[in-house]
Amino acid sequence: MLGFTIREISLAFREGRISPSELCRKCLNHIKETRHLNAYITVTEELALKQAEESEGRFLRGAPKGPLDGIPFAVKDNFCTENIETTCASRMLKGYRPPFNATVVQKLLDQGAVLLGKTNLDEFAMGAGSTDSAFGPVRNPWSYSDTYRDQSRAEPDSDWVITGGSSGGSAAAVASLSSFLALGSDTGGSTRNPAALCGIVGLKPTYGLLSRHGLIPLVNSMDVPGILTRSVHDAATVLGVLQGLDVKDSTTIYHPAPHNDLPDDIDIRKVCIGIPKEYHAPGLSRETVSQWSHVADLFERAGATVREVSLPHTQYSIVCYHVLCTAEVASNMARFDGLEYGHRSAVSSSTEALYATTRHEGFNDVVRGRILSGNYFLLKRNYQHYFVKAQQVRRLIADDFAQVFGSGVDVLLTPTTLSDATRYSDFIQEDNHTRSMQEDVFTQPVNIAGLPAVSVPAALSQRGLPISLQLIGRALQDRKLLTVAKWLEQQLAFPQIQLGGLEARGGGRSLGVSQREQTSVA
Amino acid sequence: MASFTLRNLFSRLRNPRPLHRCGVYRSAREDRLSSKQTLTWCRWSHETTSIPHEKQNSHFHNSKVPQTPTWEPVSEDHLPPPTQVPLDLVDKLERLALVDFRNQDAVACLEKAIRFADQLHVVNTEGVEPMDSVLEDRALYLRDDCVVEGGCAEELLQLSKNTVEEYFVAPPGNIPLPQRDERTAMLKDSELKLKF
Amino acid sequence: MAASSMGLCTVVCNINRKITTRYPRIFSLNTCHHVCRKSFGSSTQRCHSQAQIRKKSVPQQLVGVVGLEVHAQIHSNTKLFSGSQVRFSAPPNSLVSFFDASLPGALPVLNRRCVEAAVMTGLALECTINRKSLFDRKHYFYADLPAGYQITQQRLPIAVDGRLRYSHLAGRKQNQVVTKSVRIKQIQLEQDSGKSLHDDSRSQTLIDLNRAGVGLMELVMEPDLCCGEEAAAAVRELQLILQTLGTCQGNMAEGQLRVDANVSVHRPGEPLGVRTEVKNINSARFLARAIDYEIQRQMEVIGSGGTVLNETRAFDYKSGQTFPMRDKEGLQDYRFMPEPNLPPLLLYDSETAPPPQGVDPQQVVLIDAVRKTIPELPAVRRERLVDTFGLLPEHSFTLVNEDGLMDYFVGVASQTRAEPKKVIGWVIKDVLGLLKQQGLNVSQSPVSPRRLAQLLDLLEDGRVSSSAAKLVFLELWKGTGRSPAQIVEEQGLGMMDDSAEIRRICQSVIDSHPEEVRAIRTGNKKVLNKLVGLVQKETKGRADPVRVRAILEEGTS
Repeated sequence: MLGFTIREISLAFREGRISPSELCRKCLNHIKETRHLNAYITVTEELALKQAEESEGRFLRGAPKGPLDGIPFAVKDNFCTENIETTCASRMLKGYRPPFNATVVQKLLDQGAVLLGKTNLDEFAMGAGSTDSAFGPVRNPWSYSDTYRDQSRAEPDSDWVITGGSSGGSAAAVASLSSFLALGSDTGGSTRNPAALCGIVGLKPTYGLLSRHGLIPLVNSMDVPGILTRSVHDAATVLGVLQGLDVKDSTTIYHPAPHNDLPDDIDIRKVCIGIPKEYHAPGLSRETVSQWSHVADLFERAGATVREVSLPHTQYSIVCYHVLCTAEVASNMARFDGLEYGHRSAVSSSTEALYATTRHEGFNDVVRGRILSGNYFLLKRNYQHYFVKAQQVRRLIADDFAQVFGSGVDVLLTPTTLSDATRYSDFIQEDNHTRSMQEDVFTQPVNIAGLPAVSVPAALSQRGLPISLQLIGRALQDRKLLTVAKWLEQQLAFPQIQLGGLEARGGGRSLGVSQREQTSVA
Repeated sequence: MASFTLRNLFSRLRNPRPLHRCGVYRSAREDRLSSKQTLTWCRWSHETTSIPHEKQNSHFHNSKVPQTPTWEPVSEDHLPPPTQVPLDLVDKLERLALVDFRNQDAVACLEKAIRFADQLHVVNTEGVEPMDSVLEDRALYLRDDCVVEGGCAEELLQLSKNTVEEYFVAPPGNIPLPQRDERTAMLKDSELKLKF
Repeated sequence: MAASSMGLCTVVCNINRKITTRYPRIFSLNTCHHVCRKSFGSSTQRCHSQAQIRKKSVPQQLVGVVGLEVHAQIHSNTKLFSGSQVRFSAPPNSLVSFFDASLPGALPVLNRRCVEAAVMTGLALECTINRKSLFDRKHYFYADLPAGYQITQQRLPIAVDGRLRYSHLAGRKQNQVVTKSVRIKQIQLEQDSGKSLHDDSRSQTLIDLNRAGVGLMELVMEPDLCCGEEAAAAVRELQLILQTLGTCQGNMAEGQLRVDANVSVHRPGEPLGVRTEVKNINSARFLARAIDYEIQRQMEVIGSGGTVLNETRAFDYKSGQTFPMRDKEGLQDYRFMPEPNLPPLLLYDSETAPPPQGVDPQQVVLIDAVRKTIPELPAVRRERLVDTFGLLPEHSFTLVNEDGLMDYFVGVASQTRAEPKKVIGWVIKDVLGLLKQQGLNVSQSPVSPRRLAQLLDLLEDGRVSSSAAKLVFLELWKGTGRSPAQIVEEQGLGMMDDSAEIRRICQSVIDSHPEEVRAIRTGNKKVLNKLVGLVQKETKGRADPVRVRAILEEGTS
């Protein structure tokens, strides 16, 4: 049952095949068993059990709150959770308990979902590996999967692979089957990247559709709460619950939520798929190119229109992102001074000295480096030359997308990451900045333009690790995007992770979601 | 100093060799590359053992999907000369940001970041309006002038590590940071205290 | 105003006046003189050079140049970007929301009332309202700025290019109304900071964030002023305007209106000199002193061959001097950046730029609708007083300038048969005079408008003489609650009607003061006053002084 989707579990609850409390206990046990993944920073055991009990009560009365009632979920530790430690994986916020819930967390709780805990991430969401955390790196559950272990001759502890980042803990939680849903954040790909490397669905909604109130910001003009689930249908369900205007966040917009689920039967012939040629970036692995081609074939053979298109400024998107990101980071991190909350150094000679030492002690090198770069770009003498220039390039990139979508393309098909998951020992050979610039190549242009995008797992690589592809949609056309993604998911039948010895759903199953759902409906 | 262009960035992907974490990568191979404009990108390779034939994914091909990288390398001549960050600017940045560089590596990192950003200038942006955010066409929400927040002094004060009665406490202000050497000593001192 | 600054002003003005009279048709290029030669009365400039000096003939004098930056706290229930309350005194940190405390994840939400206040103020000050304005972050570290940045409007503020028209009394007798104006460069919305209380004994600073996030309108003025007096008058007028609009309560002592002055000196026609910024001024009176001190200080520096440093100085009201504050000019770089959490602020106009269809009216600020709500401004009020009551401009100026005095005056004028011209004398000389002497404000006057009106009626009816009326007034001032008529009755101050009696007394005074009579007869008319005084003393002021004088004149001719 741990391997079920939300849709399946919800049905199981309603049919009484399992109760929310039982499931919650199973998940909590599984978290303990998968402790070595280091996916969780805080596990809220008592609270989860209490919430599960309440949910159970509702099901018994025949009055569940909705499709998410009783569903165990995890939240990336950069979302504020009332009275529950929220650290952003940084010493700066160790022990910090916010007095309020992030809007998206509140919405899930209001729907009766059960909070299992807060997940690990790169410190302050800066990174593409979930390797730079004050609590240690996150391990990709696939490091322990049968498919990977069969390939590898080495010891699991020496050749484990990264989850990707920065929402690695959330992705690991969902991929390792201890959680059915996790919230991540996506600024330059931080939800899609780990989703891709962990073989699950990672959705980045249109900017402004979900409230950022309570999401500790990295880049305010690009951050979006991300949704990590095991199926596209689940992601759509969660999106429907979470989207909506929030008066506490002036960057949200009103967009009517759909009344019904995504269709199960999808006619792909009316869809036009665009393949942006600039998305074959240097370093893209042969296998990913192969999958990309394979999926393009699938669409074509099914009758969809597949076109080559061009997004000419793609190459410079990462540079633009780099400047704008560091500048906003420099600004957003200015509030961490130790006076009102968070870590505070023992220095008391002057306010400035207190601030300087607090920030020295509280931030890791990555964060400090970005703050310094950002401040450099914002200096009066540099502002026009770098910051405004980056803003101009931003418009060019957004215009590129607008043009392509304006020419009749519904959805773009691209890789999500350069390759399958890298070994941790290899990944740390380069510094955080270099890795981010490499890994975010396909994902950050989407944030620059504020568009929706979803990563869908496609197949396993030669090493037995997930390879995923990304679909990018038009602004506010999240539902259409997800419909196409769902169709794709049905075609691909990506295998479920086999964590040897753990209670996944039966043996010998390498069939995907669609098959399972057919049997459970019957 | 070797430039840090996208080209270099991706050349390193080909050769994941142990490197100084933030340093400059120099090799004969790279020098060969930098002299030529045409580049061939080798396949990304892991240290994998040979894989039994039947387990290999079949290699797919689609005419719409580019089979080779399509990026244009950015040559050094297109970029302005690399920036060197002088010591007084380092000091100024540290005072403005209240974050320290810690060591020369960090300064090198900054210079690398600047070099990376320099590539923006290859793009022609004449007549392009800068974009603050994707929200530029959306209206700003206006709130009613009614009191709905505040009155939570206790809740806020308990988040802080140092309060006196109902006040937050700060050390005396208007005292400038000490000179760089003193600062380094002060920070090292605080680091030691943290460890114990 | 301090004597020294008065003196300085006079010196400069005298020189300038001489220049003006000598070269009446030469125009000054200097900006500090937009004299409005309306019906408000002519004036020679009090304080500024009108003429471009021909180098050969007259040596150039340094003149002061003053530009003000005013921070006006917006009069609203809640803060600019959060829903916590705005109140002057409250327990520390009790009016602080999560956003005000800069808790990460809390976001700004703009208060419509603050937008309307800024638009109204901009319109009243003849500004162009920018239909689109933007918010920016201004970064610096300070204990009372929890987020490490202030949200302000640096690139594109809400209002630009306005004008503050102000007047002040000038002339030897302070009875000439001089009207000037100062250009307003822009008005921007921004956040106020919290308050730090320095506890030197324990070497710490206590932080109260109640004020953090309160909405401010920053009004930046061009350097069109030339001295402390002008600055004080301009600020006073601004205060009146804001109070009338209701957009700011303008109480400087409570920090609702804060003024920083940028002061420099130069010779007219030459580029502006290096300026210093003078801060920490919390009353209009100190503003004038601080500015004049600074102008004089700079003139002395230059006069002795030195150069003025570009620095920030604080005013110490005890010594009346300015002192340099810690200089961060070279170091400071605010690293302005667009505020990403706030889309552009768009304003509409029902005629010229209507809002899009179907938009919630609560989400729309219409500039023309705001314009319609602007009440009568002080300048208009003054003219109306002049028109309605036939007052002199300087009297109308004084009435409007004193809080509540205009209403007091109107109260008296509407309840008495006496002419406004008579009423005004009593209000300004007697009422206001005593109020000032005793440090009271109009609302604390022991003599109500009704009582004064009654007294003036007695005068009108001839039931009391003008000198006796003064005595009655003083009695009324004691605030015993008795009416004027009662006082007259009780103290026997009624008009002495008995002509024979008056004549007798006059004659007796004449007879008993032969020296004085002789003096009068030889042409020294002033001595007559003494005799009048003696008669009045005898009659306890009850005789009509005009009649007494006439009789005495006759008797001593």
